[in-house]
Amino acid sequence: MRGFIFAFLAGGFITLQGVANSRISQDIGAWQAATVTQLTGFLMALLILMFVRDGKWKRFKDVRPLYLTGGSFAAVVIYGNIFAIQEIGVTLTIAVILIAQLAITFLIDGKGWFDVVKQKIRLPQFIGIGMMIAGVVILKF
Amino acid sequence: MFLGLFFAVLAGVLVGLQNIFNTKVNEHAGTWATTALVLGLGFLASMTLGLVFEGTGLFILDNMKTWHWFSGLIGVGVVVCLVQGTRLLGPTYAIAIVLTSQLGFALLWDSLGWFGLEKIPFTFQQLIGVIVIVGGVLVFKFGGSREKQNVKQVQKQLKHHTVGR
Repeated sequence: MRGFIFAFLAGGFITLQGVANSRISQDIGAWQAATVTQLTGFLMALLILMFVRDGKWKRFKDVRPLYLTGGSFAAVVIYGNIFAIQEIGVTLTIAVILIAQLAITFLIDGKGWFDVVKQKIRLPQFIGIGMMIAGVVILKF
Repeated sequence: MFLGLFFAVLAGVLVGLQNIFNTKVNEHAGTWATTALVLGLGFLASMTLGLVFEGTGLFILDNMKTWHWFSGLIGVGVVVCLVQGTRLLGPTYAIAIVLTSQLGFALLWDSLGWFGLEKIPFTFQQLIGVIVIVGGVLVFKFGGSREKQNVKQVQKQLKHHTVGR
């Protein structure tokens, strides 16, 4: 039950984040919103890291440099999120993001790119993505 | 409309890539070091692109309100809940719930129009659309047992879950 509540709240927070960013961007602009919110998030994470003190951050050097750059994508992600929410609404934005996200993960799993364990592509995953696209069509048209 | 869809697809592809990269970092450096790195780089990248597109106008924050500063903390809440949820339920089960909850809250926000966003009235058609999407998520995540181990893990968790009640 606890796990369910955490996962449920995580979903709520992710949506809330997109909505809050859109609202903030109306006041100060999209790039400003992305910059400010990530700065405070970063400072908070840094603070927690100082309390946790597991010393694991030293192992950044064991990670392939390419993978360390993932965080920088967030600039475009947040901008895209804000723009899309204002243009097409929260529900459609989240739905399209989820489809694109699952589709790229599916592709990478199937091809075994980026050192992920290669997985056999199976029919249910195609059907799942097909259903999600059908859902978006119902949602909008 | 078209540009909105385009940006949503772009964001989704980048989120998927980012999740894979971040998981690799997480395996070595732990949750909080990874979170700090990811948000720190996100901050630098946003500031850089902001400067490219808006110049020093980026630093005009006249309409900044106090709560804006705190909204960045939502991201920390996301990380805590994701990590705990995944730990307790296993990735497949947790992510399926996260995605479903994301869509549910999105529908709620659209129909309530909170935070001064344009209100999109709730319709039966919208509900059907979201249910079909959630069905798709469940088929994608659980269909055909892509990893037998995953299913076993979920079954074990489900058993715990039932016993726990």
